[in-house]
Amino acid sequence: MSNSDQFPVEIEQPHHKGNGSGNIFSRVFDELTAFCRSRSMFILHYCTGCGAIELPPAMTSRFDMERLGVSPMVSPRQADILLITGYVSVKTLKRVLLTYEQMGSPKYVIGICSCTVNGGMYWQSYATAKKLNDYMPVDLYIAGCMPRPEAVITGLRELMEKIRKGEANGWQDYYRRYDYYLGHQQRLFGETWQTPTNVVGEARHYGLLGDETQGVHTELLKRHQKPLEALEMRLSPADKAEMEL
Amino acid sequence: MIEAHLPVERLSIILGEVKEVKVTQRSERRTRVDVGADALPALLELLKGRAGFVHLSAISCVDWPDDGEFELVYHLWSYELNLLVSAHARIARDPGVYVSIYDIYHPAGFFERDIHEMYGVFFEGAPDMEKFILTEWDGPPPMRKEFDSEAWVNDHFDWQDYRPDWLVELEQQGGGVVIPPDEQRFSRRSEDEG
Repeated sequence: MSNSDQFPVEIEQPHHKGNGSGNIFSRVFDELTAFCRSRSMFILHYCTGCGAIELPPAMTSRFDMERLGVSPMVSPRQADILLITGYVSVKTLKRVLLTYEQMGSPKYVIGICSCTVNGGMYWQSYATAKKLNDYMPVDLYIAGCMPRPEAVITGLRELMEKIRKGEANGWQDYYRRYDYYLGHQQRLFGETWQTPTNVVGEARHYGLLGDETQGVHTELLKRHQKPLEALEMRLSPADKAEMEL
Repeated sequence: MIEAHLPVERLSIILGEVKEVKVTQRSERRTRVDVGADALPALLELLKGRAGFVHLSAISCVDWPDDGEFELVYHLWSYELNLLVSAHARIARDPGVYVSIYDIYHPAGFFERDIHEMYGVFFEGAPDMEKFILTEWDGPPPMRKEFDSEAWVNDHFDWQDYRPDWLVELEQQGGGVVIPPDEQRFSRRSEDEG
């Protein structure tokens, strides 16, 4: 099967709208960027639950995710997709948010398994978050308990298509409606919840400061926020003794 | 020192030494021992020292709110007898304080810490009663029967909207889900209340 069969490339006709310049090349560069971006993605798989077991076959030779240009990445700063595979406990959710905020934009989130959608079989549990898109924008859910690698691949292709069309804008939503997401985080983690990332500052940097970026919840955050301090470097007596030897 | 030829005989002699102990043979390799809370540490000491029950697999806790008691179950395994002894003792639910067996079995430290955060039972003499897994939890001990997990979930989380298009189509045709998810979710509670 040729590559073009797998990925039907639709050639879009230039629309005469928006800036109304009528220049057919005005969107070419954006489209090219989006196209390239969608075909070279690194995923950070945050394997929180059972769904993680479906990823090794999806990545390795049986289903071979890399033929889509998707390959695993070890650090959040270099990853494009955050893959959350399964239930997210309240404790884990804090780490997931820290990871998400560390990722460079544009970034995409995929929630795999029923648990990320509505709590799944843990709907009654005090320990797991029920609705992932309350706390961070989710571009795509892959439902199932657990979804097979075919479903994961289909989901990834769906996301690629969305990126190519410029529809996967969850990361912009996080900046535009930060107050909403922060409100849910504070409801669960308490008023003193804070992350080392200055999301409002980043929103300003990207030019994505919306009406809902700041609000009551960011005000609350400002009141509790402590400035970041460098970690103190200290040697324990045991380490010192070892160095002297 | 009592001499016995078979290890099983040794076990029965030891169990005979402890007062008010009820032994039930559950199966070939499982023995249940019910013992008073005061006699339990002594029993464990004897089992470890004289019958080779060196492995404490777990300590479990059962909440009996109607009796006002917690049941502590110590699961002991002997590699010589290939036998599992579960020693059951009941303690008062209030104040829920018991003695630690850390001196006899060191792994007990972890199990007791776990039971402390899940049930609120305090073990006197345990090396560490700090939070273990629920380090960021400040609610009541969640495994107690009076803790209403469902109510806590309703207070802290929102539910996903469940109105898929295909369901709307089915409902227009007179079909659909027999019990809607909202009712299904609380069906157990409504039964309890009714």
